Amino acid sequence: MINIQVNLQNVSFHLEANFSVAETGVTGIFGPSGSGKTSLLRVIAGLEPQALGLVQIGKAVWQDETSYLPIPQRQMGMVFQEPSLFPHLTVAENLRYGMNRTKRTSQSIEFSSMCELLDLEILLERNPQTLSGGEKQRVAIARALLASPQLLLLDEPLSALDQSARGKLLNYLEKVFQITDIPVFYVSHSSEEIARLADNLILMDGGQVSAFGPIDDVLSRIDSPLIELDEAFSVLECEVKAHDLPHLTTIQSVGGKILLIPEIQRAITSKLRLQIRARDVSLCLTEPSNSSILNIIEAKVTEISQVKQGARTIKLDIAGENLMAKVSDYSSTQLNLHPGQEVFAQIKSVALVG
Amino acid sequence: MLSNPDFVAFALTIRLSLTTIVILIIIGTPIAWWLSQTKSKWRSVIEALIALPLVLPPTVLGFYMLLTLSPDGVIGASLAALGLPSLAFTFSGLVLGSVIYSLPFVVQPLQNAFSSIGQRSLEAAFILGAGPLDRFISVVLPLSKMGYLTAIVLGFAHTMGEFGVVLMIGGNIPGQTQVLSIAIYDHVESLQYGAAHSLSATLLLLSFAVLLMVYSLNKRVRLLGRA
Repeated sequence: MINIQVNLQNVSFHLEANFSVAETGVTGIFGPSGSGKTSLLRVIAGLEPQALGLVQIGKAVWQDETSYLPIPQRQMGMVFQEPSLFPHLTVAENLRYGMNRTKRTSQSIEFSSMCELLDLEILLERNPQTLSGGEKQRVAIARALLASPQLLLLDEPLSALDQSARGKLLNYLEKVFQITDIPVFYVSHSSEEIARLADNLILMDGGQVSAFGPIDDVLSRIDSPLIELDEAFSVLECEVKAHDLPHLTTIQSVGGKILLIPEIQRAITSKLRLQIRARDVSLCLTEPSNSSILNIIEAKVTEISQVKQGARTIKLDIAGENLMAKVSDYSSTQLNLHPGQEVFAQIKSVALVG
Repeated sequence: MLSNPDFVAFALTIRLSLTTIVILIIIGTPIAWWLSQTKSKWRSVIEALIALPLVLPPTVLGFYMLLTLSPDGVIGASLAALGLPSLAFTFSGLVLGSVIYSLPFVVQPLQNAFSSIGQRSLEAAFILGAGPLDRFISVVLPLSKMGYLTAIVLGFAHTMGEFGVVLMIGGNIPGQTQVLSIAIYDHVESLQYGAAHSLSATLLLLSFAVLLMVYSLNKRVRLLGRA
């Protein structure tokens, strides 16, 4: 487990974070800007020496009431929003900087395989100044991983990139996360990135951790802080079923529900991840006919939230998976929604995130 | 071209400037590093103290140094108590005076160079496992090359040209404390304009050559984008 119980008091800002997450997979840290996401990463890294508390990564205690491990001795990697490559070294020298300062015995990733994975071979002799933003971040990620960290901290690594570079780097990140078993903390303010990459989720608001745990648990909490931000969404793991309809692809959720999405070029049975926003899901008591909405699926109401800003969030069960819907309090009363009720969920749009 | 006593003055000046710049780089580096990184409220106080020689007439500095170095002064008395010779009117005294006098010319370029290294690069080096000294050698020094070149040249040249401090604490002892500027002053006083000319012209050409070298190097480094 990764145990964090920290407290940071600045002149204008107070961070208080207590949580534990599994020491595997990608933990998304999500919240509005100014909610303390970056500060939390910096505290874990040891870059905020005034911070008090406990930082424990598995068996390694980086900080507690009596001890404070100096930054160079913490086995971690970190990638910042803006690239931080050393301008006086070539790409290859940058990549080896952390590697050469790591004990041979604890090195887990080979130089050449890392370069191959991130397509860095042709960049090795270049100076960092001649690289594009996306290339710089790729080098920074490889440099961090080559130091064989116990924990990889990524602070909005895509935020300084344009849309197309962002998409490419996301693909690389996904590849990296698949082959490595290093736990990753991934800070982002994009729910799409979180939906695509994260296995665990930490929600932050106003310098506090408001929820944490496996992503599905956090997203399907009826009192999720995301609801107040109108950011509530669900993630569905699906598989490509068929390409037999014009301009559409048929996919199937893990629970067996069939969905249609705009045509994608992927092989049958390949896996994908869908992000469905709660505000894009509406409910009917009877199956609507002649609707232009493609995806109308049977669901069962499992929980109903309190009224917030005139709306209620409804947690639905669709063949064993959770789907969140947002309906106005008026409609909820009109339809007499209650737990256990069978309804039809109309999904206005889905985003393919992985 | 140069007469023998003039040559001695010339050699002494070079020796003084070299000794001074070596000491200044050694003590200036940690001071400049501290100034570039600290958030302490004492920073402005220290910065102002170091910058004092920029605005004070050298004679003021020299006068107070003479007082502290004299057998009744703080430094002079402690040296005497330890059985060590007095520093006033000696080469060592000159070195001490020059170090104080030229300190801002070394600390300021170094401080600027250190400050312009991105905080991210420094944090990245730490996170990648470099300890403070390792990081200084592998990241800070290579990124501050121009700052060091500027500091060395300015510190060296400024020491070469000093006059007031030397006059006050060094006097005019050939081979010991008679530096170039004093020798030139002597020649002018005794109306030997020819000798004053040769010394002055040598100094002028030397200074110009050094500065020209620095500025052209600086330009090439900037073009390479690896300042």
